Amino acid sequence: MASLTLSSSSARARFGFLLTPKALFGLTVLSALVICGLFAPLLAPFDPAKQDLMRAMIAPQPGGPHVLGTDHVGRDLLSRLIYGARVSLLIAAAVVLFSGAFGVALGVVSGYFGGRTDSVIQKFLEVFWAFPPLLLAIAIVAFLGQGLGIVILALASQRWIPYCRMSRAEAMALRDREFVVAARSLGAGHLRVLWHHILPNILPSTLVVGTFAMATAIISEAALSFLGLGVPPTIPTWGGMLADARSYISTSWWMALFPGLCIFVTLLGINLLGDVLRARLDPKIRNL
Amino acid sequence: MTMMAGFHGLMAAALMTGASSAALLAQDMTDKRISVAITETIAGYNPYGDAVVLVGSIWCQVYGCLMRYDFDTGRPIPYLAESVEPETDLTWIVKLRPDWTRHNGEPVLAEDVVHSIDRVKNDPASAQGFIVQPIQSIEVVDDLTLRITTDEPIATLRDNLTLIHITSKKQFDELGEQSYREPVGAGPYRLADLSIGSHMVLERIDDHPMISPTNPKQIVFRIMAEPEARVTALANGEVQIAQGIPPQLVDRVEQLPNAYAAFANSVEMMFLAMNPSTAPWDVPEARQAVAHAINREAIVRVLLGGRATLLDGPVGPGQFGYDAAFRTPYDYDPVKARALLESKGLLGVEVEFFTPVGRYTLDRQIAEAMVPMLEEAGFKVQLQTPEWASLWSNVQAGGVPFYYMGRGQMLDPSRALRQYFETDGSPRLDYSNPELDALLRAERGEFDTEKRYDLMRQAIAEVTQDAPAAFLWLHQMAWGVADGVDYTPRQADRVDGWDIHIR
Amino acid sequence: MLGYTVRRLFGVIPVLFLVSLLVFALMQAAPGDPVSMLISDEASAEDRARAAEAWGLDQPAPVQYLNFVRNALNGDFGTSFRYREPVMALVLDRLPATLELALFATLLAVLVGIPLGVLSAARPNSVLDSIGSVVGFFGISMPNFWLGIMMILVFSGYMNLLPSSGREPWGMGLDRVTGFLTLDAVLQGRWDALAQALRHLAMPAIVLGTSMMGIIMQVTRASMLENLGEDYIMTARAKGLSGRTVLWRHAFRNALVSVITITGLEFGALISGAIIVETVFSWPGIGLLLIQGITFRDFPLIVGLVLIYTSLFVLMNLLIDLAYSLVDPRIRMR
Repeated sequence: MASLTLSSSSARARFGFLLTPKALFGLTVLSALVICGLFAPLLAPFDPAKQDLMRAMIAPQPGGPHVLGTDHVGRDLLSRLIYGARVSLLIAAAVVLFSGAFGVALGVVSGYFGGRTDSVIQKFLEVFWAFPPLLLAIAIVAFLGQGLGIVILALASQRWIPYCRMSRAEAMALRDREFVVAARSLGAGHLRVLWHHILPNILPSTLVVGTFAMATAIISEAALSFLGLGVPPTIPTWGGMLADARSYISTSWWMALFPGLCIFVTLLGINLLGDVLRARLDPKIRNL
Repeated sequence: MTMMAGFHGLMAAALMTGASSAALLAQDMTDKRISVAITETIAGYNPYGDAVVLVGSIWCQVYGCLMRYDFDTGRPIPYLAESVEPETDLTWIVKLRPDWTRHNGEPVLAEDVVHSIDRVKNDPASAQGFIVQPIQSIEVVDDLTLRITTDEPIATLRDNLTLIHITSKKQFDELGEQSYREPVGAGPYRLADLSIGSHMVLERIDDHPMISPTNPKQIVFRIMAEPEARVTALANGEVQIAQGIPPQLVDRVEQLPNAYAAFANSVEMMFLAMNPSTAPWDVPEARQAVAHAINREAIVRVLLGGRATLLDGPVGPGQFGYDAAFRTPYDYDPVKARALLESKGLLGVEVEFFTPVGRYTLDRQIAEAMVPMLEEAGFKVQLQTPEWASLWSNVQAGGVPFYYMGRGQMLDPSRALRQYFETDGSPRLDYSNPELDALLRAERGEFDTEKRYDLMRQAIAEVTQDAPAAFLWLHQMAWGVADGVDYTPRQADRVDGWDIHIR
Repeated sequence: MLGYTVRRLFGVIPVLFLVSLLVFALMQAAPGDPVSMLISDEASAEDRARAAEAWGLDQPAPVQYLNFVRNALNGDFGTSFRYREPVMALVLDRLPATLELALFATLLAVLVGIPLGVLSAARPNSVLDSIGSVVGFFGISMPNFWLGIMMILVFSGYMNLLPSSGREPWGMGLDRVTGFLTLDAVLQGRWDALAQALRHLAMPAIVLGTSMMGIIMQVTRASMLENLGEDYIMTARAKGLSGRTVLWRHAFRNALVSVITITGLEFGALISGAIIVETVFSWPGIGLLLIQGITFRDFPLIVGLVLIYTSLFVLMNLLIDLAYSLVDPRIRMR
């Protein structure tokens, strides 16, 4: 955050890479998502839960009250998409935050201390890593029940792994560097070294991993909702809307098209942004 | 032996169906194959191990059952049995047909029936123990005659006997469980192939008495869970009969150039159950308010495309105990519903409302549509949509106070009413009404159909009035059928080969 | 190398135990019991008790787990509650379907992704490169279930071009030898059956392979660009080798390590993606079996399937490591 106080010319040098079309597209999508999430009640033309059986399955009509049409119980599709952004964003942010914190903490400790600590943590990682992606999440949601918290837990259950691997590798490389050794010899405790010297150096890579993790979280949440294993179906989510639409696909195409497009565009934006960040901040990182 | 059996079979066919003599020539029989897209899964080879009604009906076509339903009259009629008649209040005499044989030419014997009932009861894999629950003992009188003793008078025993597959004792003694893999049945079809969870193939027994020349030579039952996939498959000619066409797709089927939609009332009552041992459902007015609050007409019209029959009690047309003149006292009246709640100071009472998802036609969508209606009446509703496994286990254990549910297999509602509404019938509703108990007990012990009908009507009126459940509707089940195939879907979810005719 | 492989294989065993323990613990915590799911809703209390006893569910959870482990060590993974067949028999019966689907999806991803990546890298910022990038980003951003639904709607629904679900029409009369329908058809010279199998495979394989294709394209392009900037490429060019030779023989050979790595890593995502694709297309593989197993709380089946998925994934990772040393002899396996 120190960069905010820098002069504008140096800021342009540092952040100019964010002005490429790719990055701009990604930023626009992400900001749109955040705005929708924060201001959903103001933006949505209708209450997303408000049903009107008399106005069920109205086709999209530009200029009409229901721009993107209505669903099978007469709820406004646009409003539900806007509120759906909120859930997607909330889940993605929570998953990225929790799994990031957990993964980085574990990885840094593992890499910094090495030895026994490292091998125990790596064994632990191996068990979770042994599950193909999504399988563990399916198992957790299926067995622990539906709920926002459980979905977040389920998705975070494996997303911490890339952070852990990345930060372990970086911590291993950093622990023998001069400034770390110097800090230790000046009597700094382990915690202090980790916090002040190791962590700040890992942040750029974490940001890159986090961006891609967000994309994964959004698509996984949608997939779980689609399988009927997501958040309770009364909460509007894009994946859940798609699952609903499956029964109406040949009669009301808009119910399937728009939520799918929302997921697609969001992922596209995040992936593009992630790509730009990766190229700039840490070209070493590939899909972890 | 086989030749003889075949000859007898043909004679019987000619006599029974009055088929023309041309039917006697195998070459005139159709060699068409019919594929049927079904929604449920197939559990395996053990005919006693499947709790799915449709799969049970498939095994009945292979092994044969003692009785079967005549859907035109709504009564069970003899199938492998020649007759099933009450001897005393507690005993029944079953006579087997002397002239029908298994596919290998061996006769169906009394010991097979004893063996089969034993399997239903004692096979650890059996999912059907309830069918034989009232049967206390069964004894062989002679090779073709049995005596069944029940522990209380059960007028509906014949109904139970439509569900028991008669397997061969000899086969089982020789091969054990392995005998299920190559069933030697006595039904009009033989099992040609089975792939667990995927498909099942039947092949016609040409000389079986129940077969007519227009019945398909092969029937392939294919599991297709997705409704869209079933309709698409019907459109491409991949399947000729498609089960479970949801209301929103009926129009699409009707517009297909190569198929049509056919309808059958289900015998599955859809209802809202309210457990009277939990608050606020211990207050009759709260239950009545629910019954008044639901705008059933609107739900049926919009969500179900009109494809449902509103219920005035637990049964509808074609089910035993139905009285066309009987009307439920609970019409749609939101004002009255609110007044009822208000009279007991329950306005704004919080209730949790549970619904299955994807179990019944548009279940969640329907429940969602009910929420604003209940709220208008003054309830504060929290809609819960647990996964089926947890909901169903919990309902059976009596842990769910208020839920949307269906109860199938109600051609004769006797067992279902006992299960849900009789004291100690099951924990799922925890409802107790001595008057109703007495009526239900009397009803199932009454062998005179007219008198029994009268008792059943009274029981139905009583349970409707007291409203431990709000009875909603019977779904009208839509089936897609290809042109060139004559098939009238039946009330229960079953597809019998002898009901399908190739034009 | 052999020693390394053996050691890695033995290393898998404790991981599988921990995985099974984790799944077991999850199932114990789960609401909903198998007895209610699997026997008729009219069953009496005695019927339930008998079913629970037959399935060993009357035992305390730790005993159940120990029984499972003991039997598993003898190669017996139990009997499915719902299907009453040995779990391994059920799984092995369905496994070829999933593997065939995964294989074709991978093939598709590799055959489209790699050339696209190489050609994009050969002319950065050209039209081809832009197309490649678009395809790559679209691929990784496309939710597969949505693509599946849309393809069914268009190709089966409107155009009646491809079958909407399943793996084969019944009655092809093809003998099962390998369980891979395409291979069986070729072995028996049944070209009609091969055509049918491919028609059924087309949509699910495309849907499943799309995301992998995008990733492979991106990784190929990135490592190609990296390699093309290296000195030895300059040297090769200076020696007068043709552009094509340099591109494929030299730069691509070195980029192959990253491509293999990513293909292997993505294989995990692919087989779990198959769970969703199998659901959409009613593909009779182990993914569909898993979802059905979860619905019915079929504990032995679920544990068996999770173990199969895990083993597949772990084995794949081992294969990748071995493949490295083949592609790049400098990498020594310790």
